[in-house]
Formats: sequence, C-alpha cells, structure tokens
Amino acid sequence: MVWLLADALSGNLVYFRTVSEAVAEREAATATEDTGRFRLAGAVVAGSVVPVPGGVRFDVTDGKARASVLHRGDPPELFKDGVPVVCEGSWEGSRFVSDRIMIKHGADYVPPSVPGPSS
Amino acid sequence: MSRIATAVLGLTSLLALGVLAVLGLVVAPPDAFQGDAQRLMYVHVPAAWVAYMAFLVTSVCSGFHLASARGSLRYDRVAGASAEVGVVFIALTLALGSLWGRPVWGVWWVWDARLVTTAVLLFLYLGYLALRRVPATPQVRARRCAVAALAAFVDVPIVHFSVTWWRTLHQEGTVFNAAHDPKIGGVMALTLLVGVVAFVLVYLYLLERRYRVAVLEDRLEGLATLAALAERRESGASDGEALDAELGSGARR
Repeated sequence: MVWLLADALSGNLVYFRTVSEAVAEREAATATEDTGRFRLAGAVVAGSVVPVPGGVRFDVTDGKARASVLHRGDPPELFKDGVPVVCEGSWEGSRFVSDRIMIKHGADYVPPSVPGPSS
Repeated sequence: MSRIATAVLGLTSLLALGVLAVLGLVVAPPDAFQGDAQRLMYVHVPAAWVAYMAFLVTSVCSGFHLASARGSLRYDRVAGASAEVGVVFIALTLALGSLWGRPVWGVWWVWDARLVTTAVLLFLYLGYLALRRVPATPQVRARRCAVAALAAFVDVPIVHFSVTWWRTLHQEGTVFNAAHDPKIGGVMALTLLVGVVAFVLVYLYLLERRYRVAVLEDRLEGLATLAALAERRESGASDGEALDAELGSGARR
C-alpha cells in the first residue's frame, strides 16, 4: 500500500515544470508523442491577459522562455499581471490549455507601500 | 507544578493570545499582495513550529527513557503528553494552512511534498497515540512507544526541508530558508514572534495539564491492578477453604 501511495505521489515531487522546461519538452517530443498532463509555472506577462468566451488567454514567462496559455473557466481571485501562477493542463500544439490555475505565493511578506511625503 | 503556577501559566498564555489577536488582526498591516488572508500566517506558522517542538520533546524524552536503567515512567509520561499536544498543533497547522490556501492559491489542498509530508506527520503521531493504548504492562508500553516516537520523528526534518529539497507549490521558508535571509520585517515580524511566544505558552500549559492526567491515569491503572490481585487472592482463599472441606482434615498441612 505504501508503494502504491509512493508511486501515485512521486509524480508530485516535482510539482511543476518551468516555462523553459515545458517548452523544451514539447519541442523534443515527436509528432506522435504526447507530453501529457502536467503543471506549468511562470509569471503572467503584463499586458498579455485577454478575456475570451469561456475563459482567459495570457502568456507566462520564467524570464527566459515564454508560452501562451488558454485557461478554460474563471481564474482565481488574485490573478493579474505579473503574478506567478501554476497552470494545470497540457500542450495543444504550441498553446498550453489549462483548466486549473493556482497562484504561487512567494515567501516574502510586504506591507502595502505608502507614498512618501515627496510624491 | 503547583496549582498556582499552573494557573499563572494558563492566564499568561491567554493574555499572550489576546496580544497576538490584537497585533495580528488590527495592528499589523495587510499584505500588499494577499491582503488580509495573510494574517492566517500569524497562527499557521507558530502552530507548525510548536508542533515540531512538541515532537522533539517527545523524542528527547523517549531517548532518555530508553537510556535510563531505572525504568522510571516519568519520561514516558511527558513523551506521551507532548505527542498528544503536538498532534493538536499539527492538525491545526493543516487546517489553518488550508484556510489560507483557498483564497491565495485558489485551492484547499494540493498533493505537493510539503503538504503530503505534513499529513504523514499527523498520521505517524496519531499512530503513536494509538500505540499508547495497546494493552501492555507500563514498562513494555513505554519502551515500545519510545522506539516508535524516535522513528516517527524522522519525518520532522523531511517536512521542514521539503520545500527546499523538492519543487513545491508551498513557498519556501520566510524565516528559515536556504539563503538564510528572512523575508519579513517590521510589525509583521514582531507579530509572528508574539505568535510563537503565545503558542509556546499554550503548549506548556496543555503539556502540564496532560501530564497531570497521565499521572492520574497511571495511578488508576495501578489501583485497578491491585484491586484485581486482591480479588483473585480472596477468591483463591475461598476456593482453598472449599477444597479443604471436601477433602477433609487430611488435606490440611
């Protein structure tokens, strides 16, 4: 039973792939291979968010590579430009189609910035 | 611990929780990104750290018990009490974390390394608590549980380093991270510190109370054993009399 659990969860040890990794994987895969369902992580490229019927289109980047994502459904509350996200789905051609977006929160805690007396 | 000391400890921990509530809910600013959901961190993180501490106490006491030749059960009682309080805190950690995850991540739960290893930790110590209930003499039970506690503790460093060793959705440590660079400051850091102090006080109070109960439980068990022995002796005596009567005076020594 432990083995079953370990096997099922071992795919989650690497919880997501970065944009560079996912793009490299897609390009390395042959026409008949399918990279399957996985999680793609990156930051939402500012200005790339476009609402479409039934979902939203946007680009993600990890600073090196960039990928276009089509999300089906409503994105979570904190979704916006620049936010790091983890999208669950798979490649369809050169576009990543996702049905689940999670916001990846960093380790820092920042109080809201208050404009100084000079601004 | 004397009654007065215990009461003082209890009151102090309530006071500390009160200060934490004011700081955490009112004084500390909301996070620039997460807003007010971030305030859960002031209870989620202390709960996790105190749980680790509780399990550490259990392990240290278990080690002392195994190492001591006298076989006194005091270490065993503390180990058991600490584990029980630890289970409460780790369960609280998971619940509070889930409450935070929903508004921030967008989901209640994910199967990433941090969350999975923490859930495993909860079940390991629930197993330990169950083991304490398995019928055995106090000495056998204490040895058995001491070994189990030491084995279960292996998961604690795994939980802590899970965010560094593996790629997880759960973020890396804000205070304890690989870069040794705390990413929190000002009032927020102070509130977190108050949270840790308050939760440690609550832990100490609960530990003391649970230890008291353990002493009473053991005493009760001891009394029950004595009562059972006395009853057996009596019934044995009356059986002997009946036997003598049957066999006649010839059977008497």
